[in-house]
Amino acid sequence: MAEAATTERARPEPITAVPVRHPWRWVAVAVLAVLVAMFVHMLVTNDNLHWSFMVDNMFRPPIIEGVRGTILLTISSMAVGLVLGLVVAVMRLSANPILRVVAWVYTWFFRAVPRLVLLVLCGNLGILWKRIEFGLPFDRQIGALFGVDDFTARFYGVDSLSLLSGFTAGLLGLALSEGAYMAEIIRAGIQSVDPGQSEAAAALGLSRGQALRRIVLPQAMRVIVPPTGNETIAMLKDTSLVAAVPITVELFYQLRAVGVRAFDPFPMLVAATIWYLFLTSILLVLQYFVERYFARGYGRTERARMRLREIAAETGGGGAA
Amino acid sequence: MTETTDAARTAGTAGGGAPAATAAAEPMVRVENVYKSFGRLRVLSGIDLQVRPGEVCVVLGPSGSGKSTLLRCINHLEKIDAGRIWVDGELIGYRQRGGKLHELRDKEVAAQRRSIGMVFQRFNLFPHMTALENVMEAPLCARLGTKAEIRERALALLRRVGLGDKVDTYPRQLSGGQQQRVAIARALAMQPKLMLFDEPTSALDPELVGEVLDVMKDLARDGMTMIVVTHEIGFAREVGDHLIFMDGGQVVEAGPPREVIAEPKHERTRAFLAKVL
Ligand SMILES: Nc1ncnc2c1ncn2[C@@H]1O[C@H](COP(=O)(O)OP(=O)(O)O)[C@@H](O)[C@H]1O
Ligand SMILES: [Mg+2]
Repeated sequence: MAEAATTERARPEPITAVPVRHPWRWVAVAVLAVLVAMFVHMLVTNDNLHWSFMVDNMFRPPIIEGVRGTILLTISSMAVGLVLGLVVAVMRLSANPILRVVAWVYTWFFRAVPRLVLLVLCGNLGILWKRIEFGLPFDRQIGALFGVDDFTARFYGVDSLSLLSGFTAGLLGLALSEGAYMAEIIRAGIQSVDPGQSEAAAALGLSRGQALRRIVLPQAMRVIVPPTGNETIAMLKDTSLVAAVPITVELFYQLRAVGVRAFDPFPMLVAATIWYLFLTSILLVLQYFVERYFARGYGRTERARMRLREIAAETGGGGAA
Repeated sequence: MTETTDAARTAGTAGGGAPAATAAAEPMVRVENVYKSFGRLRVLSGIDLQVRPGEVCVVLGPSGSGKSTLLRCINHLEKIDAGRIWVDGELIGYRQRGGKLHELRDKEVAAQRRSIGMVFQRFNLFPHMTALENVMEAPLCARLGTKAEIRERALALLRRVGLGDKVDTYPRQLSGGQQQRVAIARALAMQPKLMLFDEPTSALDPELVGEVLDVMKDLARDGMTMIVVTHEIGFAREVGDHLIFMDGGQVVEAGPPREVIAEPKHERTRAFLAKVL
């Protein structure tokens, strides 16, 4: 009936309506344009920026050393943090209540203490022990139990000042803290995988370890990788905190040192900004490819959903800050 | 699989043929007085069931009657509270030693599950692997031969379920019916003695049900021992050798499928059949 009615009527003429104008958008664009012009003008005309001094100094050997130190510290703390995080996450999901509590206390402690405080703490651990030795635990007490004075069973030892100053202390502080954040990320990732997956793996006769390694973790990676990328970027920036340990072979310390020595700090701060922008951009590109790899087997909408989650994670704040 | 294996049964299962020759042999599955509760909810109370080699046992019953739980107990995905389950003469999940039961280790349970294939309602394919990788995964983990051999066998299995052209496709890109057929091939890759099907066609669009049932009929004809939870009465009648009707965690009625479906003796069976037919 409705069909008959439409065929009888003529096709209506196409809509030619006046579009809604958005004058305030144009006002906003104009304001921004003026602000950008002012900023560029300032960059070009302000004599205190000393561009040539900055360019001359930002690639000098000690600075490049600092870049290497920053990258090395970022990679090694993330690597150790990832392994720690995986162990703690698996402990957190274990059936054993003691393992679960230990894992919970670990994440609680290292998420509660600021990284800067942790780093200063690690740098000063040498005050507690003169030497760090490996061997039978409680050897002196065991010796005393059997009536032997001064019984020791230690096979390796180092001076704590040489071990816990500089790089190792920085690595310790950053990795312990990162381990706590990574544990939470990995746990969330593992829990995001449909339990039907481990069930199917179990039914096929895979052991629990095989199911975790080959079925659950690769799928959890889709959830784990985006926040891990953000963690890595946060870590890159947080390496600038290790000056407090103190570590000097690090980008920000080196750049500032140049500025301070020349009584001209500002250009080197700009140089630091540029260096961190550059290094972070490399990480962003890497992150893109790693994510694409772990999204294989999923449609384009799923990948879009992933990017959304990632943006949410980024605005929600990475581990550090 | 262990010392209890005798020559007749090995021939019957490994050859995959002639169920009649082994009809008199010991049952492939023996479920004896099994109880299972989740907290205070009793899901199975005193289940008995025997399935002979080469037989297809169909399990009917309303939702929540414990059908899935029974299947999951048979391959020890769930621990039973009381009773015993044997598959091919092997006690599932435990070892009897000196009048005492000892729990099996993770590895030993995994070994037992390898001879029991399971197909799920929601397929549960591994989404990060192609169809071929899905089928190869378990044999690779169990080291059932070289990678080339496993690959050949996986390809043959995919051809057998009619998916020889979907080898490199990810599950997402397959229809439900195709996914379920990959799942069947994946279970068969471990060369199981027993296949458990938990409502394999319930998540499928009606026009895709047939292709999965065809693969299952084919398997039954080849002499595979199967326990099939399903609401497909036609399949039960055509392929089933034995039928049990479960309700409230108990086997209410059992017998040859045609007889039970044609003239159910129990009131609850009658009410259920009236709804699904
Ligand atoms: N893991 C579990 N924890 C708690 N209750 C469960 C669990 N699995 C199943 N149940 C309950 O056991 C009962 C039987 O479930 P199920 O065996 O899945 O029934 P069916 O497959 O016949 O529909 C249902 O009431 C269900 O809610
Ligand atoms: Mg069910």
